[in-house]
Amino acid sequence: MQYIKKDMASYNLHLINTNKYKTITVKVMFHTPIKKEEITIRNVLSDILLLSTKKYPNKRDMIIESENLYAADIYNNTQRLGNYISTSFILQVLNDKYTEKDNLKKAVEFLSEIIFNPDIEDEKFKKNKLKIVKDNCEIALSSIKENPANYSVIRLNEEFRKDSPISYRMNGYKSDIEKITEKNLYSYYKKMIDTNHVDIFVTGEFENQEIIDLIRNYFKFRKIKKQRIPYFIDNTKPRKKALTKKETLSISQSKLSIACPIGKLSEYERNYPLVLANIIFGGGSDSILFKKVREENSLCYVIYSSLNKLDNTITIKAGIDKKNFTKTIEVINKVLDQVQKGKFTNKDIQIAKKIYENAIFSIEEDPHQIINEYLTEQIIKFENYKERVSIMNKVTKREIIKVLKKIKIDTIFLLEGEE
Amino acid sequence: MKEIELLSLDKKVFFEKLKNGLEIYLVPYDNKENYYISYATKFGSDVLKFDLDGDTYVPPLGIAHYLEHKMFEEPSGIDPFTFFSESGTDANAMTSYDSTQYICYGTKEFNKNLRYLIKYVNTPYFTDENVNKEKGIITEEIKMYDSLPDYKLEMKLRENIYKKLSRRYDIAGTEKEINKITKEDLYKCYNSFYLPNNMFILIVGKFNMNEAINIIKEELEEKLEYKLPKIYTQKEQIEVNKKNETINADIETPKIGIGLKISKKDLKIKGVELDLYLSMLMTILFGSSSLFREKVRNDQLLNDIYMEWENTEDFKTFYLFATSKNPDKLIEEINKEFDKVKIEEEHFNRIKKVWIANEVKMIDNIEKTEYNLYDEIINYGKITPNRIELIKKMNIDKLNKLINIIDFSNKSILKMLPTKK
Repeated sequence: MQYIKKDMASYNLHLINTNKYKTITVKVMFHTPIKKEEITIRNVLSDILLLSTKKYPNKRDMIIESENLYAADIYNNTQRLGNYISTSFILQVLNDKYTEKDNLKKAVEFLSEIIFNPDIEDEKFKKNKLKIVKDNCEIALSSIKENPANYSVIRLNEEFRKDSPISYRMNGYKSDIEKITEKNLYSYYKKMIDTNHVDIFVTGEFENQEIIDLIRNYFKFRKIKKQRIPYFIDNTKPRKKALTKKETLSISQSKLSIACPIGKLSEYERNYPLVLANIIFGGGSDSILFKKVREENSLCYVIYSSLNKLDNTITIKAGIDKKNFTKTIEVINKVLDQVQKGKFTNKDIQIAKKIYENAIFSIEEDPHQIINEYLTEQIIKFENYKERVSIMNKVTKREIIKVLKKIKIDTIFLLEGEE
Repeated sequence: MKEIELLSLDKKVFFEKLKNGLEIYLVPYDNKENYYISYATKFGSDVLKFDLDGDTYVPPLGIAHYLEHKMFEEPSGIDPFTFFSESGTDANAMTSYDSTQYICYGTKEFNKNLRYLIKYVNTPYFTDENVNKEKGIITEEIKMYDSLPDYKLEMKLRENIYKKLSRRYDIAGTEKEINKITKEDLYKCYNSFYLPNNMFILIVGKFNMNEAINIIKEELEEKLEYKLPKIYTQKEQIEVNKKNETINADIETPKIGIGLKISKKDLKIKGVELDLYLSMLMTILFGSSSLFREKVRNDQLLNDIYMEWENTEDFKTFYLFATSKNPDKLIEEINKEFDKVKIEEEHFNRIKKVWIANEVKMIDNIEKTEYNLYDEIINYGKITPNRIELIKKMNIDKLNKLINIIDFSNKSILKMLPTKK
């Protein structure tokens, strides 16, 4: 696998050349510092670009083109990365050796058409298309409570850090939908294309120069943009006393979510001991939380913790019966206290290291994972994944305990079932 | 070992059936790091009643799933999850209507993990205490699914399609039923269905074939085969149980569920071919490049859609679920499609092209390949080496003939409306 990063002046081009995949993936990412009031319009923009273009006036025309390109997949994705919002347009198409000559070229041209040739007239998007996208957006937003586990985390984060990007709803806000017009949407489109920082990733088996020429030909951005604010969110001070909030929903199982900020860490601590600490605590399939809360006390079916390095937070999620709320919190607190006192074994550490190693070994299995890895290395600036395993294997128990001691339970949110 | 070449995909499946009936399927990859092992029994929630010791026996609903959970108990007290995690390997188990599988997925210690997987599934260990302990956990699992409106929609639709068939019941059972389960029930089911002549091993990914075969034979060659008990299937009527119903739930936007129940009896095609034609039919009618989709998108009648075919011994059932602000109008549009089924040759040929491309894409992915091969073993009893050729050979006349036999009126329509507050 060969990785090359080229500074193309107005965007970064990342080439990941490998014969491991039968497909070629092209991911065009637009990053900008996140603003709460722009989330909804950005989601609407991302969807409307996939609904029609100048050359393909209907979604069906676009799908037919994809089908003719030997089932080329084109889709969008939006995520928050710390202080930034990142919107991607992704193309995945079979290598020409399985299809026909120039199929890749046509697919890349199609992707370019979607991004640079929107279906507009007089500097405005079309009214009927905007109506469709707004309608879908509204319905998606209305149904957030239908996924209680997700909704519980959304509400947790709103209570956890009220004015920080951590609290923002990435699906957007209903009240913002009506403010979007055909005209201001087009202005926002121009703003995204002209001012966002752009990364383009290409993975698959190809001739480097051919891809460079292909991308250069179909992707032209005007300005050179500098990223001024950091990706990392400053989140190191926990509340003095944990905050508990509850909300009722007519579901049979209650969803418990807990936010735990981590104190100040060095780069090394964040990239190495912290990762193992999370796996041992609640991230691995045989974690201490799993053993104590589920296996020993039968309090739940699902419990796990996830680490977000950019937000400097560990989030615990569990599905419980509301009558066991107090007991569950008690057990979780006890588990945290115990691991902070070093009550875990060398075997637990070895297992966590093996889990990490497995995850690293698996990165190259999937094009999206390898792209995500190189993006992360650009943002977090840590060692290449091939080097990280040996560093991780040298992490000591003392270093893990030191990091565990910095984890504090800050906000507890219970989505209480009422059935 | 028999070599089965998956044509046009540059991939081989190695197959062997042991004397006691155990089937082994090995699919090595040389450009991957992961392996995926599945050890499965063709016993799932479909079995509601069977002969045992000269009598008929009806275990509580949810027994296959409960048994799956309890397989993880070992007399040594060591939890299989713990064992696998020592090498950073993922482990899991899944119960479906027609089978139960135990899997592990990772990059390390293949030999050790394969042997252990076989051993722990071969070691049933149920006590009153460990059986009781699981009731709380499984009840929470049932409630977790129960909290999802989409799940409620599907379960209700199943009840309305099937009057008696096992497919109308939740795989996990109900809280009331699982509370009846005893260790005796678990042993009875285990001993009757976890037999080499009813099980198979499927391994996909990076591993040494010779070492794998040796381990499997060491652990399983001596296992005795026994005759499977007589299983009583339900006599299910051809007509859907209930044609229409409206229910309420705590949702914002209405949902619909439609089930089209087709009796296999008069269909002249069968097996893989039948599934390809049925899939083609619904892709053309309701798929993403269909005229139906474009219409309902422009009229804002559809926000979300999910479709799938279900296979049972006597039926093929088509499920369609959707979210819509105007469920009545959407149902009308769907019925229009069923009332005058029209197949355009260009569309038909384009979908064939898409499917062939998808076969090539999927073989790149170990997990997807495992799922596909697993389904083939369960549904057809063997691997289909010439899927791409079968797709190429599909012709529009055969599809039209099939369409003429199908009774498109045999459907159950379910509406889920928001509860008025």
